[in-house]
Amino acid sequence: MLELKSINAGYDFLQVLWDVSFHVEEGELVALIGPNGAGKSTTLRTIAGLINPTSGEVLFNNKVINDVPTHLISQMGISYVSEKLNLFTAMSVQENLILGAFAIRDKEIQLETLAYIFELFPRLKERKDQLAGTMSGGERKMLAIARGMMSKPQLMLVDEPSLGLQPNLTNDVFRALIQLREKGVTILLVEQNVNATLGFSDRAYVLEQGKIVMEGPSIEIKANKHVRNAYLGI
Amino acid sequence: MAKDSMVRPAAGKSVVSLIKNKLPVFIVAIFSVILFAAIYIKGGNAQILNIFITGGMWALLAVGLALVFGVMNIPHFAHGESFMIGAYVAYFTFTPMQAYLYTNPSKFLSTMAPFGAILTAGLAGLLLGIIIERGIFAPLRHRTKEGWVMNAFLLTVGISFVLSNGANLVMGPNFRGISRYWDVDAVEIAGAYLSVDRLMALAISLVTIGMLWFFLRRTRIGRAIRAVSQDETGAQLVGINLDFIQTLTFSLATAMAAISGASLLFLFQAYPTVGGTPLYYAWYVVMMAGLGNVAGAIIGGFIVAMLQTATQVFVAVSWTTVLPTVVMILVLLIAPSGIFGSEVKGIQES
Repeated sequence: MLELKSINAGYDFLQVLWDVSFHVEEGELVALIGPNGAGKSTTLRTIAGLINPTSGEVLFNNKVINDVPTHLISQMGISYVSEKLNLFTAMSVQENLILGAFAIRDKEIQLETLAYIFELFPRLKERKDQLAGTMSGGERKMLAIARGMMSKPQLMLVDEPSLGLQPNLTNDVFRALIQLREKGVTILLVEQNVNATLGFSDRAYVLEQGKIVMEGPSIEIKANKHVRNAYLGI
Repeated sequence: MAKDSMVRPAAGKSVVSLIKNKLPVFIVAIFSVILFAAIYIKGGNAQILNIFITGGMWALLAVGLALVFGVMNIPHFAHGESFMIGAYVAYFTFTPMQAYLYTNPSKFLSTMAPFGAILTAGLAGLLLGIIIERGIFAPLRHRTKEGWVMNAFLLTVGISFVLSNGANLVMGPNFRGISRYWDVDAVEIAGAYLSVDRLMALAISLVTIGMLWFFLRRTRIGRAIRAVSQDETGAQLVGINLDFIQTLTFSLATAMAAISGASLLFLFQAYPTVGGTPLYYAWYVVMMAGLGNVAGAIIGGFIVAMLQTATQVFVAVSWTTVLPTVVMILVLLIAPSGIFGSEVKGIQES
């Protein structure tokens, strides 16, 4: 579904990604793990079209999407839930969600998806008239993920959903992601919580200093000596 | 990226905390009521109506400034030139129609002709806005966003010079005005006599602002405009075309200024630098109300008009610009982000 072929990318004169190649197949939950500054977020931003790679190819459903502007990539079916969430803080929860379905012009489909989201995240339904900016950290993450789902994406890129959350809220967020996979949404997840992430993802890639250093099924990665030393502290 | 601190927590239940949260608003509200009453006692109905008519014009202009600043982060100093072009377009559409109606009198056509002229000016403004945005701001935006606010500000000043001097070159420095749009007697409202032109100017600005308000609050594209003003990246991520929204916003603002210039042609004759005064007043309004705040700009328009009228009633007409300026400085000293704060991102480099 998604394939990166030797991507080189970065900001101005600072190159962050070096020859990064990986792929995500339909229905998979793939984790991208690595230390701070390894380029995980940069990878997601490149896929979402917020950064243009200097060389290499990003393929989505076998189409090159390197130079496609961000809003069209979103309309093609890739939803990026960024680390900063990028919510519309002065708008209500419901308005944020409806904007998530901006590309879907059919009002009925919009409302159907909204009802489904409210079913999935009852918390958001309770707070639908509250301003997004006044919600707690966990609720905002939920809202960002829910907004990302409103466009009925084929692929979701989720950036550090556990960042800054207390453990039980982190579990809620992870549970939501697992539910999403069960619904058939393909997910590429960037996470710092390596132990938990490797527990429920199908496959994983390890990114270090802008290079993919390891790949394989999550169980194997979790058993790997280097990963255990560096990330799991065992 | 919208700053979370911009969003105040939901007002507390007790009245005390409500007043505390919105202190500047309360001070201004109380002050306004007192001033309003004072103007009424001294000047009577005529002055009160005057506040609404002037306020409507400033609000219409200021809303455009607030939109352009809130959505695009451009401190727009060429807004007055859109007003000027609106005035010229209305003049050159209306006078031939007037001449034709002089030889072929028709009651219906002479009622409709002014609307035609004002609408044409609005469309011209829309077109001008598209040209300026696509031709000047879009290329700059695509090249670099570094130092955007300053660069955009300097560009608008440049555009202002080019347009007003261009008008001077093409039309000459002559004043071109009309005595009135609607050839009807003044109307008596609550003991005050008002020309139909003034009333129509108020009606046009209120209807235009109302339509804009509806558009921003209730339509899909309007919601997208607000989304862009709150978080550009977020807007792109949900599939909103930033370029389209920015061009649309800029051209709407330009069209509103042009409509305002056109509907006030009987008051401000068209000449190359006619936009100066309206521009300054519109800036008083947005600075007082809070940059980028559309709702604040509407209320602010009426507050500035009230200050002007108060100066005329209690001090002297020649002091009209002084008092609003002094009040603006005071407001900025007490509440630097304006009376109503701002629900949008405000000045920032992104």
